[in-house]
Amino acid sequence: MKKSLVYIDPENVQNSIEILEVVAQIHQEEDFKSYGALINNSTSIQGLHQFDYIINIQNQNLKNYDPVAVTDVMEQLNKKYNFDSIIIPATHFGRMLAPRLAMRLHVGLVADVTKINHNGENLELVRPAFSGRIMAGIITEARKPIMLSVRQNVFAYDVQADKEAEVIDYQPENFKQGEIELLNIQENNISYDIRESEILVSGGGGTLKNFDQIKLLADKLNAEVSASRKIIDNGKADRNIQVGQSGKTVSPDLYIALGISGAIEHVAGLKNIDNIIAVNINKSAPICSLSDIVVEGDALEFVKKLSDKIDENEDQKN
Amino acid sequence: MKIICLVKYVPNVEDIKYDYEENVLIRDNVKLILNPDDAAAVAYSLKAKEVNPDLSIEVLTMGPKSVRPFVEDLLRRNVNKATIISDPAFAGSDTYATSKILASYLKEKEYDCILTGSKSLDGDTAHVPAQLGELLSLNQMSNIISIDQDSFNEKSAIIEVESGDKTLTYRMSFPAILSFRKETGYELPYIKYENMSLDVSDKLNFISNEELQLDEDMIGLKGSLTRVANTYNKNFKEKNKIVVKNDDQGIDYVYSFLKKKGFV
Ligand SMILES: Cc1cc2nc3c(=O)[nH]c(=O)nc-3n(C[C@H](O)[C@H](O)[C@H](O)COP(=O)(O)OP(=O)(O)OC[C@H]3O[C@@H](n4cnc5c(N)ncnc54)[C@H](O)[C@@H]3O)c2cc1C
Ligand SMILES: Nc1ncnc2c1ncn2[C@@H]1O[C@H](COP(=O)(O)O)[C@@H](O)[C@H]1O
Repeated sequence: MKKSLVYIDPENVQNSIEILEVVAQIHQEEDFKSYGALINNSTSIQGLHQFDYIINIQNQNLKNYDPVAVTDVMEQLNKKYNFDSIIIPATHFGRMLAPRLAMRLHVGLVADVTKINHNGENLELVRPAFSGRIMAGIITEARKPIMLSVRQNVFAYDVQADKEAEVIDYQPENFKQGEIELLNIQENNISYDIRESEILVSGGGGTLKNFDQIKLLADKLNAEVSASRKIIDNGKADRNIQVGQSGKTVSPDLYIALGISGAIEHVAGLKNIDNIIAVNINKSAPICSLSDIVVEGDALEFVKKLSDKIDENEDQKN
Repeated sequence: MKIICLVKYVPNVEDIKYDYEENVLIRDNVKLILNPDDAAAVAYSLKAKEVNPDLSIEVLTMGPKSVRPFVEDLLRRNVNKATIISDPAFAGSDTYATSKILASYLKEKEYDCILTGSKSLDGDTAHVPAQLGELLSLNQMSNIISIDQDSFNEKSAIIEVESGDKTLTYRMSFPAILSFRKETGYELPYIKYENMSLDVSDKLNFISNEELQLDEDMIGLKGSLTRVANTYNKNFKEKNKIVVKNDDQGIDYVYSFLKKKGFV
């Protein structure tokens, strides 16, 4: 029986469920059990029944933002269960935890995995490198456990009905505490998550003059607004609506790319999108070859015109 | 107060263009640059030094000897000392081996904190700073977007970190590893005109495995636990795009497309 441990980022529980797909792809037909490690967040347990076991760790002295302490606890769990694989979501905290733990356990680590290949005996873990310009297939030395971090919102797990995780309460032994203190948490003021959006109206360099205006069209389509890096770097929008390699991977049903050239870092964040409309003054911008419709022209003018058109038709209906 | 800045010279991926029609990378004329996150870390330490002239900055890099002129340019910008770890025996090191090599140099050194980038443009793993944290028994924090200058002293610093949809503020005690993002906005100063060709060789030292004496099973390809077995180009599904103009007819076309698909 193979055992796989998933670190559940208390800040992003949903993402940890997606990782069950990774567990299934790694172990395939082998018999395996999935364990989720959850620290100081028992309120999330009911959302986690897709795991076989939830290791529920409640300890007041354990700060789940301290990678030093969490590494100690994860090492203890590994000693106890002797896992075949340990998988960590590539969240801000997961990216600090995974390398530390891999070093502690003397195993290799593959970062930010987006695909899993079985080439005969070899497990090849595929990940973006060169800022998303190429995909690299990585093979690790045969040591146990296999360790990887997984890019968020790339894998999708088919939820099984009637699954009920067994909850194991676990009290960690001694752990070292890193000298770190959380002083403040500031929620950024965007109320939606572009990874969940069904329609995204997205702006790039071509909307820099008046980025806020694209919201007009988004509202008409009941869509949400996202952006390319250029907009973020110019301070026109919050980083959490950035699409791409250094932003988020999105999979809406419709993506309207307004004045976005489609540099590979941007396109790297578009996944399984059936419908893409690009508006660009340059009809051979890279994004255009990925689009169903290319509107050659000014992005903000398009916003105005299409919004008017939608209004007109609404009026006729009434 | 002493700071060690870890820097890596990387191919400028912005120069690498992608040919979507052919699905290949065009790698001609790719230049080496200082990894942008690392530049922010060095820029921050130079800024801290302006406020506190007693601060001493050492830059540490591991890579080919050809990075020397780049490193000299940092010394001409008021960095006190630079160390280049270079040995053909280190070539091919993954992050596990790279971190061990860097740690074997660092564990003999004294410092208040180590500043690094959060991730590099090429390998792009963001492993090295955290793995050094493990090897040197230090805490480490990635994705730093600002440091409160007044709080930055031998004992600790207050830092702001971007974490998903939140901005977190921490106090970290030193010694520790602080990893920057280029979005901090700290930029390297220009080299002063009179320093353009300053001889800085007395501030530069090279370290090879003769000094570090690492077992050859620990370094290079042999010491690495991961290996790049294949590279793939991204295959983008090209579509049979329809090009329309931004006029009434074009807008009509877009509208009926949206209508047909049920978006309006
Ligand atoms: C296509 C590709 C895929 C790879 N995938 C993996 C993988 O999945 N797992 C793995 O273990 N290795 C991998 N590697 C190897 C890894 O990139 C190298 O070991 C690299 O030298 C260090 O890692 P990094 O570039 O990812 O640095 P990062 O950890 O991303 O760099 C973060 C910071 O650490 C410091 N730093 C990093 N390297 C140095 C250095 N040489 N000198 C001084 N400071 C430094 C800098 O401050 C830098 O900003 C891959 C390499 C390639 C080319
Ligand atoms: N007014 C505009 N309307 C539409 N596209 C534009 C406009 N100005 C620039 N562009 C395009 O916007 C893109 C800039 O993209 P990026 O730098 O990726 O955000 C380029 O592809 C330009 O061709």
